[in-house]
Amino acid sequence: MSYELVKSHLNLYAVLQNLEELTVMDKEMAELTRDWNISIQFSVKGGPKAYIAFKNGKCTVGQGKFKHPSIKLFFLSPEHCNKMFDGNGNPIPLKGFTKLGFLLKDFPKLTDRLEYYMKPTDDLLKKKSFLAVNTKMTIDTAFYASKELLQHDELGQIVAHKLDDCVMMMKVLPDGPAVQMEVSNGDYNIMKSEEKKATSVMLFSDMTVANDLLNGKIDAFSAIASGAIQMRGRIQYLDALGPVLDRISHYLS
Amino acid sequence: MKSQTRSTKTTAKKTTAKKKSLKTYTFKNSQKLFQRALKVIPCGIYGHFSPAPLIPATSYPFYAERAKGSHFWDVDGNEFIDYMCAYGPMVLGYNHPGVDQAAMKQLKRGNCITAPTREMVELAEQLVDLNTAADWAFFAKNGGDVVNQSIMLARAATGRTKMMLVKGGYHGVSSWMQGPGHYGVVEQDCASNVYVDWNNIQQVENAVSQHRGEIAAFLATPYHHPTFGDSELPADGYWQKIRQICDREGIVLIIDDVRCGFRIDMRGSHEYFGFKPDLACYCKAIGNGYPISALVGREELKTYAAKVFYTGSYWFSSVPMAAAIACMKEMKKINAPRVMIKQGKKLWDGIAKMADGYGYDMKVSGMASMPTLRITNDPSMMLHQDWCAEATRRGAYFTSHHNWFISAAHTDTDIKKTLDIADEAFKAVKKKYGDEY
Repeated sequence: MSYELVKSHLNLYAVLQNLEELTVMDKEMAELTRDWNISIQFSVKGGPKAYIAFKNGKCTVGQGKFKHPSIKLFFLSPEHCNKMFDGNGNPIPLKGFTKLGFLLKDFPKLTDRLEYYMKPTDDLLKKKSFLAVNTKMTIDTAFYASKELLQHDELGQIVAHKLDDCVMMMKVLPDGPAVQMEVSNGDYNIMKSEEKKATSVMLFSDMTVANDLLNGKIDAFSAIASGAIQMRGRIQYLDALGPVLDRISHYLS
Repeated sequence: MKSQTRSTKTTAKKTTAKKKSLKTYTFKNSQKLFQRALKVIPCGIYGHFSPAPLIPATSYPFYAERAKGSHFWDVDGNEFIDYMCAYGPMVLGYNHPGVDQAAMKQLKRGNCITAPTREMVELAEQLVDLNTAADWAFFAKNGGDVVNQSIMLARAATGRTKMMLVKGGYHGVSSWMQGPGHYGVVEQDCASNVYVDWNNIQQVENAVSQHRGEIAAFLATPYHHPTFGDSELPADGYWQKIRQICDREGIVLIIDDVRCGFRIDMRGSHEYFGFKPDLACYCKAIGNGYPISALVGREELKTYAAKVFYTGSYWFSSVPMAAAIACMKEMKKINAPRVMIKQGKKLWDGIAKMADGYGYDMKVSGMASMPTLRITNDPSMMLHQDWCAEATRRGAYFTSHHNWFISAAHTDTDIKKTLDIADEAFKAVKKKYGDEY
């Protein structure tokens, strides 16, 4: 699979899903989207399809086709899709011309806010609320992106062969956030909370440790040795996933 | 009657004293030293000594201060009965007087000199006499050195490129050994690797048929002892069938006896399993901790061992050779593998029986001299990891991710004390988990 195609998978399936958390964790965005009743279908020619649906104050992001979306946005190629995510391109609207106002005025408020959280600065990370949102988004993105890479990236596919059935989990102690990836017969299911008994766990002593590790500010070895990070259970699968997690930045800088 | 009462009282007192909880260790100095190390050494401690797979790392010592016999002391003054034996090299006990004396004597005469010393010849003669696969011996430093050399030799001898390896088998750290999917390893590094499952003859036949005339070597350990997994002995007739296939197809049969060597059979682990390899690789136990490895092989391959240019700055150092001579003499004298298997069996049987009493199923796999232990009740391994950590914090160094090692220096007293520690560790995990895993 080409670089652009893998990247479009990550954008649509790993980045976009953060809108679900954004509309819950950020009060302003929760307020903004509370009364939205609209759905957007994203389709990439020769590539992934995803949708966002807002209803009854809830945002749902999913893969594949949405039944009767309000708006259909089309991309001529994976590269076209990636350009939009990089802020350098626009999709082709195929349906929902009457909703163009929403697309041009309201929706960007949400995507701008997503970008704000996903591009942290040291000053912003000092704010507890920002740190919480960024950390949740970072751990979720890590597993969602890993899922795509395990299926579509060359290195990821090699690592995929090393993963037996398991439930991997990253969790910030004591009460979360947590994210799980269940591997079952070569399928990957991501859960945004601690839903199942995990068999391979990476526990972070607090939010800052999790954030620092996932943003490459501390190394895992020192954190494990000091107990700031605990790896438990079938750690060989988390160990195998390491190069895949590092590979994410090859696509999403 | 009076005396009997007194005796009963004394016994009761002793029993009470016995039941007193063992001290649990702390590792302040290890942690401090590790923080210093992180500033100047990548990941503080790298490779197989890294604290990363020790779970939890905070229950383990990172740095040793000294060692003697089957024990070592860490930088916090904690004493451990060592069941990792430096991950294999310690076989007769730390600071074994006979081995150390031979090494020191040689050190005074000279170590790394412009020419090798007579010890090199003597050591080769000793190996050839001892090992039934050896018509010659070649010395290096690490196991990986000679495993890599064995593949070069097989390629030179056969004019073929590919090598058949067992999935999950460990042979060292060269990129082709690590396999794809590891940091720093590119696809081309492993392009010649053909993987088969352990104990699966049909897969070997299929691979041979698919790559007929291309496979230079079949490389495997005498039995399968993967990291993070149970050990598996060869199925009946497995090695004999592999030998037949290799003979039929002109494939060089290489045994990586680096870990098992001298812990199963003094004549080479192949003897125990009833076959003869073309090449056999040794390291770990040869020198009781002095750095030396050896490749041995049959006469027909000697010329290729001469032709393949292979060397290293310290490969001719005579101190490790003198140590290896003394170590092998002593191992042969006491039949070290038999001692280790006997002592190991006592201990693992004791632990398994004890586990049963707590409602745990302790699976012991592999040879008794280097077994893999695992409490099977919790498939996630967390219960087992906690049990190993609790034992280590009380003085029996157990790891949860790797096979253990026993040495010829592990005494009955060690075993008794280890069982006491294991018992307390079981109590601790039972208290923590109850019957829920």
